[in-house]
Amino acid sequence: MTDATDLAARAGDRDPRVGLRAVSALRRLLEQLEAVQVRSARNQGWSWQEIAAELGVSRQAVHKKYGRQ
Amino acid sequence: MFERFTQAARAVVKGAVEHAERDGTKTVTKEHLLLALLDRQDTRAAAALRTLCPPDRRPSLTAALATARRRAGLSRADTQALADLGIDVGAIVDRVEEAHGTGALAGDRKDPGWWSGRQTFSREAKTVLEKSLRVALARKDREIGDEHILLALTMTGGVVAEALADHGVTYTAVDTLVTGPKAQVIPGG
Repeated sequence: MTDATDLAARAGDRDPRVGLRAVSALRRLLEQLEAVQVRSARNQGWSWQEIAAELGVSRQAVHKKYGRQ
Repeated sequence: MFERFTQAARAVVKGAVEHAERDGTKTVTKEHLLLALLDRQDTRAAAALRTLCPPDRRPSLTAALATARRRAGLSRADTQALADLGIDVGAIVDRVEEAHGTGALAGDRKDPGWWSGRQTFSREAKTVLEKSLRVALARKDREIGDEHILLALTMTGGVVAEALADHGVTYTAVDTLVTGPKAQVIPGG
């Protein structure tokens, strides 16, 4: 609670802590979103190559990250 | 480090692994450590938790953890920081759950058998265990008990510390309860 109100109070001060926290939170959200979308694509029969192309990464990268699932 | 853990502290570590197993996830998180702490009876951490967050408030505590899990594990402070950027986490969660089902962003896999290997501790959970050692040293305690794990959890931020603080379990409150001669004879709530 204190953490949240503290951050809210500092938001207007351009406190780097708020900005950095947002980046870190966004990264976490992005990771979860990616996992959801990759799983969904696999369930719909997409190949790793197709998924990788959409994500703009190599097939190996996406397979290494999600291949076990 | 683990040789300095008391039986109670070892039981918490083991309990956390079991909670992760039950969840069907390969990673033991801070949340699993807290759930294992809540399972304990007759330990210093259990006594402090019973006083600060009596059994009737436990459902509210576990519900707070579940809600945060659905929000991709983001704390309220995280959500607020994103709101300042114009990103509405609640709206994103709603949209994704609409398309992919409730708990889609929770990141845990329920399908049994997808993982059969050993559990590993998340980086954050490891930090908590390391911090429990430092807490014990700072308090000049010779052993690491489950109360040190609880203290470490309250000071590492994120969803678990936030949910604990919302239920009255802060570092200061726990510290006051476990310090002093009456630490072990706190009456049950």
